[in-house]
Amino acid sequence: MSMVKLTIDGCEVEVQPGSTVIQAVRAMGADVPHYCWHPGLSVSGNCRICLVEVEGMPTVQISCNLGVRDGMVVHTQSAKARAARKDVMELLLINHPLDCPICDQAGECKLQEYSFEFGSDGSRFAFPKVHKQKHVRFSEKVTFDAERCILCTRCVRFLDEVAGADELDIVNRGDRNEIAVARGGELESPYQMNVIDVCPVGALTSTDFRFKSRVWFLKQTRSVCPGCSRGCNVTVGARWNRLLRLVPAENAAVNRWWMCDDGRFTYKAVAAGERLGAPLVRRGGALEETTWDEALAAAVDGLRKCGVDLVGVISARLTNEEIHLAASVLDEVGARARGHVSRTCAQDDLLRTGDGNPNAAGAALMGVPAGVPSLDGAKGAFLCGDDLDGDAAALAALDGLEFVLYAGTHETATMRRAHVVLPGVTSFEKDGSFTNVDGRVQRVQSVVAAPGDALPDWK
Amino acid sequence: MAYVKVKRRELTFAERMYLPAIMKGMALTFKHFVGVGGRKGVTLQYPDEKWELPAFYRGVPSLVKDTAGREKCVACSLCEFVCPPRAISIIPREIEGVVEKAPEVFDIDMLRCIFCGYCEEVCPEEAIFMSKEYEVCGETREELVFDKTRLYEIGSTLGPDGGTPDAEKKWERLSREQSAQGLGED
Ligand code: SF4
Ligand code: SF4
Ligand code: SF4
Ligand code: SF4
Repeated sequence: MSMVKLTIDGCEVEVQPGSTVIQAVRAMGADVPHYCWHPGLSVSGNCRICLVEVEGMPTVQISCNLGVRDGMVVHTQSAKARAARKDVMELLLINHPLDCPICDQAGECKLQEYSFEFGSDGSRFAFPKVHKQKHVRFSEKVTFDAERCILCTRCVRFLDEVAGADELDIVNRGDRNEIAVARGGELESPYQMNVIDVCPVGALTSTDFRFKSRVWFLKQTRSVCPGCSRGCNVTVGARWNRLLRLVPAENAAVNRWWMCDDGRFTYKAVAAGERLGAPLVRRGGALEETTWDEALAAAVDGLRKCGVDLVGVISARLTNEEIHLAASVLDEVGARARGHVSRTCAQDDLLRTGDGNPNAAGAALMGVPAGVPSLDGAKGAFLCGDDLDGDAAALAALDGLEFVLYAGTHETATMRRAHVVLPGVTSFEKDGSFTNVDGRVQRVQSVVAAPGDALPDWK
Repeated sequence: MAYVKVKRRELTFAERMYLPAIMKGMALTFKHFVGVGGRKGVTLQYPDEKWELPAFYRGVPSLVKDTAGREKCVACSLCEFVCPPRAISIIPREIEGVVEKAPEVFDIDMLRCIFCGYCEEVCPEEAIFMSKEYEVCGETREELVFDKTRLYEIGSTLGPDGGTPDAEKKWERLSREQSAQGLGED
């Protein structure tokens, strides 16, 4: 099919036939203000902020629902278009509360941004504002504020079209319009927290992140979610060296704009429980803190003694780099078997793969298959990143071994059976890469500093 | 244009000796010191006598409550953001009522504060004011990090609303408007 040629703000652009003007503008690297339009959702055309001027057309047009035509001449920044957007802003703000100081969206709010760009500096509306319910619980994870909502229906369309859960809808009429959970009750979709991200304003906020920190203080780092083997791209927000939230980062080839709710909470495991902060060596029955040099010497010693009678468990939650190094250690001593602990998680057609190991594919490629090898007849075990807490029989078997080397992040039952313990770090505290279920290698970046002396397993 | 050579005047012998000028300066200082010819001397018997502060004086920043004794600060953290030496640290918390947020922790490090007044200027809730308090001393660094209680104590010297009555009472207005429209306070 031949491409359509049009002129936008004096630049010639070629786009696929059937595209809309907003897509053409974005294809050339610019943007038109928009609230209700989302690249991953259907066109709704209700917010009216994306108005542009098209030569030959009598009125300004909404660019999200205007198909491209050959020879079209579009002005996105003309006086007429900007004036029209200013009027739209004024209407949107008529009943909007002055909530920015207590609104979690402030700092990443489209209403603030466009108001700054096109809005007027005061309101001409002399009547009392319409008030609606605030602080409405939509579910355990999502809090709703009806006053801040601009009724763009992005949330309704997301749940309907992407999550396949028809759970939100608009109720009441006229200026009493508001979003409500359809059929009463609460949101149940495992992808419901995406509505918080698609909401262009502060109407839908995360109950977990609510009031924890203003977004402009967050140190935002691109990384990969360690929740399952999909490897959704995320932006990790941290402050005071603490992880505060995970939000999806756009990656058309992996997770598009979304991620699942379980993935968002993976950050909690980092600070939960007892983190290991120093290397430990068993002396006379008890584990004692020691230096890295001594612990490593003890580890090497122990591994050498076991030789072929060593069994390796290398976690598929480690990065490719760590798996490679741990596998070469096993090669070096000639260990007889290796594998990783399989983990399952929920599975569906959207993102969740059912495999709870973020780097299962990477581990398999480097010769570390799923499943813990049998410890029968072994003399020693090297547990790198995995614990056997879920498997009582294997735990008991560890007791009978001469030497157990445990490299991990938290205190576990497995760790208490080890002879040498090397403190490790979680995927939020190290750099490396994960290979996702489709074989895509993605970079993981450290966000916060690890406790004490803990080091990534490759160091 | 070409440059013009400025001819400097030769200094006289007295000028080159410095001392006469110094004596002249000292005499003037002394006159202010004790007060001569009907003028009041500037010397204060501090701390028995205190300086009368001008209206624009910026002392320790402090937090104020409204006339009903409620915290005005909503922990928006704008002051924390604007503060040039980053003296302020706030941890917000959720509260019951029409105003949903308040500070859990509100610390100002007086060793960092440069008394610029930006925090007062930026505050959308008129909750932080520069007080007239200037006697800040302590023996340890920790003592000089003023917490919320201390900041409210200092703020109470200014009276409710920081002494500059707020035309708009947020709590009252919101509750009134909401109940008029049949919405309960939640
Ligand atoms: S939605 Fe945006 S404009 Fe409205 S109160 Fe929140 S931050 Fe302010
Ligand atoms: S809650 Fe947010 S996403 Fe949903 S309609 Fe309102 S503004 Fe749009
Ligand atoms: S007066 Fe200036 S330096 Fe002091 S706390 Fe306020 S903003 Fe910070
Ligand atoms: S700017 Fe005002 S309302 Fe905001 S945190 Fe500071 S004192 Fe509180």
